[in-house]
Amino acid sequence: MTAVAEALSQPEGSISALSETSGRAALALRVTGTLAVVGVVATAWLGLFVTPNDVNMGDLVRLLYIHPPMAWVAFVAYGIASLSSLLYLWPRTRHPRFDRMAGASAETGVVFTGLTLVTGSIWGRPTWGVWWTWDPLLTTTALLFVLYLGYLALRRVPGDSEAVAKRAAVASLVAFVDVPIVYFSVSWWRSLHQAPTVDLTGRHLYVHGSMAWTLLLGFVSFTLVYAWLVGHRYRLSTLRQREADECLTAAVAERQQEGQS
Amino acid sequence: MSGYVEAGYSVVLVALGGYSISVVVRERAARRRLPAKLPGRSADRTGEDGGGSR
Repeated sequence: MTAVAEALSQPEGSISALSETSGRAALALRVTGTLAVVGVVATAWLGLFVTPNDVNMGDLVRLLYIHPPMAWVAFVAYGIASLSSLLYLWPRTRHPRFDRMAGASAETGVVFTGLTLVTGSIWGRPTWGVWWTWDPLLTTTALLFVLYLGYLALRRVPGDSEAVAKRAAVASLVAFVDVPIVYFSVSWWRSLHQAPTVDLTGRHLYVHGSMAWTLLLGFVSFTLVYAWLVGHRYRLSTLRQREADECLTAAVAERQQEGQS
Repeated sequence: MSGYVEAGYSVVLVALGGYSISVVVRERAARRRLPAKLPGRSADRTGEDGGGSR
């Protein structure tokens, strides 16, 4: 999260401060990226070759080390997108950087939600005998995926940048309502899906020993991957915005020159 | 090891790797398009905040 915090904390206006801070942000991103790669490789090695098979699930338990972390990161991504949207909508904290952070985080969240659905489907085929079933958890997760795809599409609708940002922020908050529904769906409705492996409300982990450590490493590693991705995606949005601003300034200057001549 | 496990890990690796590469490539392309116009900063300095909403 350091990379994200560094990216967001950059000041406006001071050029020397900008260079210094962006240098720190770049370093933070590099460190985050390195840690993320090491963590993911370690998770894959432990998950595939070190941890034992499960009594009930057998070999398929190895998918546990990647599937719940994908869902967790998607929730974190949407949480940060919603928080940023809220900060954008709040008049006292309104700043384009929050809109850009919301967009970057939501896009990354969509990637992780897609992977949650795919890895879940791969686990479901040998376990339930089907690739897909209209189970409450699966259905609400698919809905979450579609809602945030819609959010990303809404961001691309042409228009006044502030109006687009406000509209997107509201859409992000509306879509976030589905996140707790996804998490609690296994408790609220009869579900084919097993209960969460990590109980966030009761702070309980339903695996032990090397399996628990590998799962926790998976959570940390993929969260770092998310932080690295969001950092880069945020920088990309900033660069594109600056490019658009400079094009506009150049066009205005050109028109003014035409008027004078 | 079951083919499902291998498929799961491969999908995650390919998707995250592909998305990471796409973001970094797009960022570098955007950086190249943006000349260093401000004094005291080079074109490869990124992450600065401007205005706008995308």
